[in-house]
Amino acid sequence: MLVVRGLHVRFGQAHILQGVDLAVGPEPLAIVGRNGMGKTTLCQTIMGMVPGEGEISLDGEGLAGRPPNRVARAGLALVPQGRRTFPSLTVDEHLRLVAQGPRARWTIERAYATFPRLAERRRNGGTQLSGGEQQMLAIARALLMNPRLVIMDEPSEGLAPVIVDHLAEVLRGLAAEGTGLLLVEQNLRMAAAVCGTVAVMVTGRIAATMPAADLVADEALQRRYLGVAAGSH
Amino acid sequence: MALAATVLLNGLTLAALYFVVASGFSLIFGLMRTVNMAHGALYLVGAYVAYAVFEPLYDRDAWYAWYLAVPVGMAAAGLAGIALQGVLLGWMQGQELRQALVTIGVSIVVADQLLAQFGGTPRQFFAPDALFGTTPLPLVGRYPTFRLVQIAVALGVGIGLWWLLARTKLGLMVRAGVDDRAMLAACGVNVPLVSLAVFGLGAALAGLGGVIGATAQPLAQGVDGRFLLTSLVVVIVGGMGSVPGTAVGAVLVGLAEQVGQALFPTYAVILTFALMVAVLAVRPQGLLGRSA
Repeated sequence: MLVVRGLHVRFGQAHILQGVDLAVGPEPLAIVGRNGMGKTTLCQTIMGMVPGEGEISLDGEGLAGRPPNRVARAGLALVPQGRRTFPSLTVDEHLRLVAQGPRARWTIERAYATFPRLAERRRNGGTQLSGGEQQMLAIARALLMNPRLVIMDEPSEGLAPVIVDHLAEVLRGLAAEGTGLLLVEQNLRMAAAVCGTVAVMVTGRIAATMPAADLVADEALQRRYLGVAAGSH
Repeated sequence: MALAATVLLNGLTLAALYFVVASGFSLIFGLMRTVNMAHGALYLVGAYVAYAVFEPLYDRDAWYAWYLAVPVGMAAAGLAGIALQGVLLGWMQGQELRQALVTIGVSIVVADQLLAQFGGTPRQFFAPDALFGTTPLPLVGRYPTFRLVQIAVALGVGIGLWWLLARTKLGLMVRAGVDDRAMLAACGVNVPLVSLAVFGLGAALAGLGGVIGATAQPLAQGVDGRFLLTSLVVVIVGGMGSVPGTAVGAVLVGLAEQVGQALFPTYAVILTFALMVAVLAVRPQGLLGRSA
């Protein structure tokens, strides 16, 4: 589905992405790695929000160099780091902004059924929500665009463990339904709960790709790639 | 008592005109962060183009001359604004200083072109009979009808903008874009197109202000600078990018000018700027503005 080849991003002197290659789909893929390795830049570059050099394609359709709205129309949706919900919009307005009509796979009703908390909060503003609610809203906003593949940048960041478990369940459901998923995570437990395969990002490159279970089982490998063992979280 | 009421009404009618002009300025700033220094020039474009349509019709005693001038002025300014955003400013989105300098340049060129085209003689629209003359009011006695029309127009613009922003899909996009343009684009929205629409709307409001303003007081060279400056003061006092803030700012500035004129005519201008300084000292983001 999503294929990235030789993707480079430079900010002035800084060479953030140094030739990223990856392929996602139909199975979900997780990208793990320490802070500052370029994971968020990778998400934003794929989405067209940051200019990069290299190839990006979704089901054979080239996306590199397109503005974000056309990348979104081609079938990619982003759940960004920090959620980036709109403070001026209520929950319901967020969903109306992106909803594609009653015949779409994802409708506003389905989003409320999937995230009942959002239905309770439909008249609340984007800033009056808890971190978990904001995350659900950011995910619902992405799903209502009926994407072929969703990119999620650290969805578990700052969430209580019980909410992380709920989130992992929702994401497994998405993957089972055939929606592609690129999950960027620092939380290895979350990544392994959703994805069978993890790619490790080190200084702007994909350093290794392996079964998630292998990385979970190998603390020496975790220390090398992530700097900490999963058990220390 | 009657004098106080008259001064108050004068302040409010002036505020109404300022609101119409400055709301467009604020709308453009809110979404695009563009400090549109050509807003006064758009006011002039609207007023002069409308006048060119108005004059021959008025000479022939066509009753609809003024009513036609209003949409013509809005359309002329709106199209000029769309051209400004589409041809020049869209390419430098996010570069505020460059945009400010370009719009200053455009405003100088436009003002000179209008001078070449229409000459330096002051022009004034004549309000249609239905809006002309005076209306009896309690306390003040008789009051010019057209000034009351000004207040009605400002209320209409305010309610219309509220409806647009709160109730329409375009309004959703504009509010989301004010919060986070990049994320709005990632939601599949063509933000440059929304920007064009908003710039056109903001410019059309400047054009509406141009026709209304040039009916109340003569249209002449230099008026653009005055309305640009007033718009800046209004949105600084009220809060950049906030429509209710613009309304509050316009009322305060309009009242300050008229009260100053009544109490100490020589130094009246100082009151407006004292108001701005006071607001900047206490609430730099403006009375209803959000801190950046």
